[in-house]
Amino acid sequence: MSLDHPSYDGLMRPTRRHFLGTSALGLGALALRGIVGEAQAAPLPRGTHFPAKAKRVIYLFQAGGPSQFETLDPKPLLRERHTQPLPDSVRQGQRLTGMSGYQSVLPLAGSFVDFKKYGKSGVEYSDLMSHVGGVADDLCVIRSMHTEAINHDPAITFFCSGNQVAGRPSMGAWASYGLGSMNENLPAFIVLVSQDATKDQPLYSRLWGAGFLPSEHQGVQFKAGKEPVLFLTNPEGVSPHARRDMLDALGRLNADQRAAELDPEVDARLSQAEMAYRMQMSVPEVADVSKESPATLAMYGESVKTPGSFAANCLQARRLIEKGVRFVQLFHQGWDQHGSLPSGIKRQCRQTDQASAALIKDLKQRGLLEDTLVVWGGEFGRTAYSQGKITKDSYGRDHHPRCFSLWMAGGGVKGGYVHGQTDEFGYNITKDPVHVHDLHATMQHLLGVDHERQTFKFQGRYYRLTDVAGHVVKAVLA
Amino acid sequence: MQFSLVRLLPLVACAVLFAAEEPVDFNRDVRPLLSDRCYGCHGPDADKGRKAGLRLDEFEGATKKLKSGERAVVPGDLAESEMIKRIRSEDPEDVMPPPELHRPLTAAEKDILTRWVKQGAKYEPHWGFTSPRAYPVPTVKDTSWAKDPLDRFILARIEAAGLRPSAPVERAQLLRRASFALTGLPPTTQEVDAFLADKAPDAYERRVDAMLASPRFGEHLAVGWLDLSRYADTWGYTGDKPMFAWPWRDWVLKAFNENKPYDQFLTEQLAGDLLPRPTQDQRVATAFNRLHRMTFEGGSISEEFRQDGINDRVMTAGYGFMGLTMECARCHDHKYDPISQRDYFSLAAMFGDLNENGLLSYHGEVPPPFVRLFKSEAELGKEAQLKAAVAAAEKDLARLPAPAPAASVALSAPDAHYPLDAFSAAGADNVVAGGKPAKFERREDPSDLQLVPGVSGQAVKFNGDAGFILPDFPKVGRFDAFSFSASMRLGEKNARAVVLHSSGFYTGDGDATGLELLVTQGRLRWSMIHLWPASAASVETLDELPVGQWRRVTVTYDGSSQAAGLHVYLDGKEVRTKVVVDNLNARPRDHALEIGSRTRDAGFRNGSLDDVRLWRKALTAAEVAALQGLEPAALPAELRVDHARRRSDAAFAQAAEKLRQARKALAAHQEKAPAFFTMEHSPLAPPTYVLTRGEYDKPDLSKPCPPGAPGRIFPWDERLPRDRLGLARWLTDPKHPLTSRVVINRLWVQVFGNGLVASSENFGMQGDLPTHPELLDTLATDFIRGGWNTKAMLRRLVLSATFRQSSTPSTALLEKDPANLLLARGPVLRLSAEMVRDQALLASGLLVEKVGGESVQESAHRRSVYTFRKRTAPPDGMLIFDAGSREVCQPKRLITNTPLQALVLLNNPAFVEAAGRLAAQVSKESADPAAQIRAAFRRVCTRAPRAAELTALTELYAKHQAGAGKPDAKAKNPADAAMAALTLVCSTILASDAAVTSR
Repeated sequence: MSLDHPSYDGLMRPTRRHFLGTSALGLGALALRGIVGEAQAAPLPRGTHFPAKAKRVIYLFQAGGPSQFETLDPKPLLRERHTQPLPDSVRQGQRLTGMSGYQSVLPLAGSFVDFKKYGKSGVEYSDLMSHVGGVADDLCVIRSMHTEAINHDPAITFFCSGNQVAGRPSMGAWASYGLGSMNENLPAFIVLVSQDATKDQPLYSRLWGAGFLPSEHQGVQFKAGKEPVLFLTNPEGVSPHARRDMLDALGRLNADQRAAELDPEVDARLSQAEMAYRMQMSVPEVADVSKESPATLAMYGESVKTPGSFAANCLQARRLIEKGVRFVQLFHQGWDQHGSLPSGIKRQCRQTDQASAALIKDLKQRGLLEDTLVVWGGEFGRTAYSQGKITKDSYGRDHHPRCFSLWMAGGGVKGGYVHGQTDEFGYNITKDPVHVHDLHATMQHLLGVDHERQTFKFQGRYYRLTDVAGHVVKAVLA
Repeated sequence: MQFSLVRLLPLVACAVLFAAEEPVDFNRDVRPLLSDRCYGCHGPDADKGRKAGLRLDEFEGATKKLKSGERAVVPGDLAESEMIKRIRSEDPEDVMPPPELHRPLTAAEKDILTRWVKQGAKYEPHWGFTSPRAYPVPTVKDTSWAKDPLDRFILARIEAAGLRPSAPVERAQLLRRASFALTGLPPTTQEVDAFLADKAPDAYERRVDAMLASPRFGEHLAVGWLDLSRYADTWGYTGDKPMFAWPWRDWVLKAFNENKPYDQFLTEQLAGDLLPRPTQDQRVATAFNRLHRMTFEGGSISEEFRQDGINDRVMTAGYGFMGLTMECARCHDHKYDPISQRDYFSLAAMFGDLNENGLLSYHGEVPPPFVRLFKSEAELGKEAQLKAAVAAAEKDLARLPAPAPAASVALSAPDAHYPLDAFSAAGADNVVAGGKPAKFERREDPSDLQLVPGVSGQAVKFNGDAGFILPDFPKVGRFDAFSFSASMRLGEKNARAVVLHSSGFYTGDGDATGLELLVTQGRLRWSMIHLWPASAASVETLDELPVGQWRRVTVTYDGSSQAAGLHVYLDGKEVRTKVVVDNLNARPRDHALEIGSRTRDAGFRNGSLDDVRLWRKALTAAEVAALQGLEPAALPAELRVDHARRRSDAAFAQAAEKLRQARKALAAHQEKAPAFFTMEHSPLAPPTYVLTRGEYDKPDLSKPCPPGAPGRIFPWDERLPRDRLGLARWLTDPKHPLTSRVVINRLWVQVFGNGLVASSENFGMQGDLPTHPELLDTLATDFIRGGWNTKAMLRRLVLSATFRQSSTPSTALLEKDPANLLLARGPVLRLSAEMVRDQALLASGLLVEKVGGESVQESAHRRSVYTFRKRTAPPDGMLIFDAGSREVCQPKRLITNTPLQALVLLNNPAFVEAAGRLAAQVSKESADPAAQIRAAFRRVCTRAPRAAELTALTELYAKHQAGAGKPDAKAKNPADAAMAALTLVCSTILASDAAVTSR
């Protein structure tokens, strides 16, 4: 039997690691990425398959499920029929959650906030999104998103990894795996969690995990404060010089070990230690916003000065992608308005609207928007009817996976455009549905990746972000 | 580019090799291609999956005439074989596999298929689905090398490749290697010195035996099993509450340490509860199937998550025991392996055999079914005594002579009475003197309720969302008697309506607790619940309540914790009921009663209540009749006898109180012992059907699935019971093709790093072929013959000559066999997350060794197997070193090198602390820096540093020790500076390759 047999895939992996070694986070990665234009050759698991429109992604994840009715999808009929029951003909027997599923009446709730047309395109945004409205001509709003899960945990897991089951790689991990970083001193996938958000539904590292991909592709969380990356700071008493000396000594130990053991893995280990050192040097620099101009800071709003706020994280995201980070994902919790929606969503928009718009403007003024894809949205939408009673000035909305809205910008996406439509109750999609898999396929397409070809063989099956589904939404491409 | 070269080179080599019409081997050469490129559309999936009616996974299907008139394969005839035409076609419309698959056949691969057809298109059964058999030990040229027959299997391959085994590894390294393989820890310096000094021929064997006997063995072996069993300390999902599971982890540890035979290990975990007279430990073992995640997120649908839990069990058993991706067949027949969707649901029926709730309660209580964990035999014995006392008290009560029938029946005054003739924003009046009024449930407002004409005066009509809290009834426990009576009118045939309950916060039936009166499909269900459904007593009326008519409904509960103590009366007469469940075995939570509604549940929509009365006692049937105004004298004698017994018979009262106390004492004793989730077969488990496309809400009622196993993997013996115990017997049948091979492969991974089958999680068609199939099979049969003896097998592996080779390759060997598939050199392991940390703790003297017990934080310095594992936030340092989150079954870990690992080793406070302690330890042993460094290096890396290593470290030390007093040095005096410098050195050692590997 020949050893060099395709059936020994699994056993060959260590060997591949020898060759690939340190590539994923830089170093050898450049060599690997030179495969553009070989799209017709044998399937390549990594790299782009065709020229990319977007080189990087900033995903502004709005966790909890923002209501589309008070943000991106105006429904005048709900105002007309405020408090009247949702017609059975609209619901069509579709499942509800156990929160409102037993409610004896499902009263329609009209938005408490007005919508206006913005920009040349005249796309409508609610008054809570007026800053975002200000960049309307750069945005593509999708009003026909839909997903499969109806509860937070499965839905957010599904959105971030393409599957409700835990253990699949996240969007950013796929991007890191497929495309690597453009900066050998920083991880390819960085996660920022808003500290100023209302933490109604928890977040978990699974959402930026590597799943079955090698763990180097897991998202690295950046935090506000002294130690932006876990374990980044030298222990007390160890100066940068001392660290340098340690690494030099480590280099000598490992060089000796390499010579004695003839094992290329030793090199890989040493280069990772060196990269760690460079990360230690470069992360504090990228985290330091003190040299940002007052004009830039003002654009992001007052809260940009609060470390860890959504606004500060938006600015941080721009700085990270400027340095070549491939995928930055922000998480902002607090959108789960089962009750007291008006006051809750006002707070949410106050925290996110200005900075989201500022990020678009900032990227644009730096010429980065054209090849940076920005996405804003949550894991599902909310119901047209109120969960609980409608009172004079309040109502709530339950989870609704059948239709919701998000927006995208830059990176090859059509600006000033609305894709898809929901019925006048905002309950069902009437035109151009976009499944989460379709969004993932489209995002990957913009990154130059064919979502059907970027696969990873695990447990005998070829896995991809889009599982066995997903179509690129051509209409949103610029 | 490099990647594709690596992939292509071997194939080119194959093509050259095979040029001379070498015969193809179906299992080795052909099936992997057919499986990978063809089975997706032309494989075992019988439903929509199969294209053109063609199946290529069996001879008949491949050679039959297709609808198109063609035959895909005509043995020996290339020209007539459509498959050959299609794989050679240049036309994108025609070519197979189609371009959309993105995995075209290479020239070499086409050549394999072509030669296969030419040579007669022979099929052979998949190697992994035929029973393993023992092979004769191969003859080898070098007869002096082997120490165990297994070595000759290895050597034969090495010799065939024109190579020779490597020299024996240096002894200290051998000890390190064996120590990590068997205990997960390095040897101490003293152990190394003793071993080096021990020149006896059996010195190594004795060390190995000592390691096998050490409790560290179980602590180490358990880790892989815990990964596989998705063991953790929290439930996962939103909220991620603590999960009480560590007694199961300790069961695993103990099983390894006591060397429980693997067949028994498997059987107890799958079916411990079904064994004859199961012990507490055997029941604990079954928690294996309860460790999957559970959610309590509000609004979750119980059945969805119940099905997900069952799926998780099927998946875990698939990977763990059979190396099969069973879960692929949840939605459709398996694409590659002979597992139908029906097979999947037959297994699902095995694992869905308990009466469970798909959701965790909001309060995170142990979800039933459960056992009580008694700490000692004495406590267990006391439980038996208390049970006997209850039985005796029951008998005593039953033996009492019947009193004379009561002549008159005096109705006791209610403890609360709400006429509901009116209500205000404050609530509704309680006419019992000193009683508190009913309060509106705060989530709604009074305008939601209506006053309607009632039986006496007005009544309240409910809307389903609003109700009244009855603050006078906060604590009705399982030993408290209770009665509720009201005039009641259904406004519709409610599918589900809560009339009365005491659940408090409610997000679904996982939270149902306490008293509960429901209308369900128009019938009345009356229950006392601890946790629904498995720990509850509940009865339901056989007849529906008419809609639109006032009826007097009275329900009573006698405080017995039994369904027999629940009675339902209509208009003064008891009605027939059936028992829904009768298994109440813990106390409900305490909340006030509420009538008319429950948060997030269906309340008494369109239903009306009038004249609500409650008692803290169980009314007798005669009293209920009297309440209705029925003449006592007209009542049947037995009711009057019963009334007399319960109201005016002192002997009865005494015996009843004795019984009540006996029951309370039993319950108190039981509830002192923690509840621990287990599997428990229940006739009340919902039946299993094929779920269309695997969706929880689409059971195909025409396809019921009795319990079973995938018979095309291994036939089911009809003599076996169709339950989990039968499944365990099926799996441990010596002829089962997978069980023994999978476990042997896992043990091989434990020792050699890689498996004989690299895809240790997949032994199916898409898995890797064994590198040494005959060895795998021979070991598997040896293992079974030797009584599934894990320690004995591991002992053989580490004592083998194969294991004892040096891991350092010659340049020639590295070139010929870079991945060490031939095992012509010893194994190299990057230490696991647990080993890296445990080594640092041991070397620095920080390790606290204590076997078992509650999981702890890392700061406790216990071995990592005991680290508290929160599923949604696994310990960072461990995650970075490739440990998983334990959310789902993880059959193996990938090993990576990342910069974050370097940061963990150099900066993680735990490793910094270890470096400091290590420096302190070695500085106590000697004043000479070189000796200190040497000692530290040996403590961590086992071997002595080589000259170049020692120089590098000594120079680092010298530079920083001399740096004392310089501006950036923290240390003020020379002693501190020396210690700081030594700490830097120790930290560097801990981060070195020699530290994080076993070579």
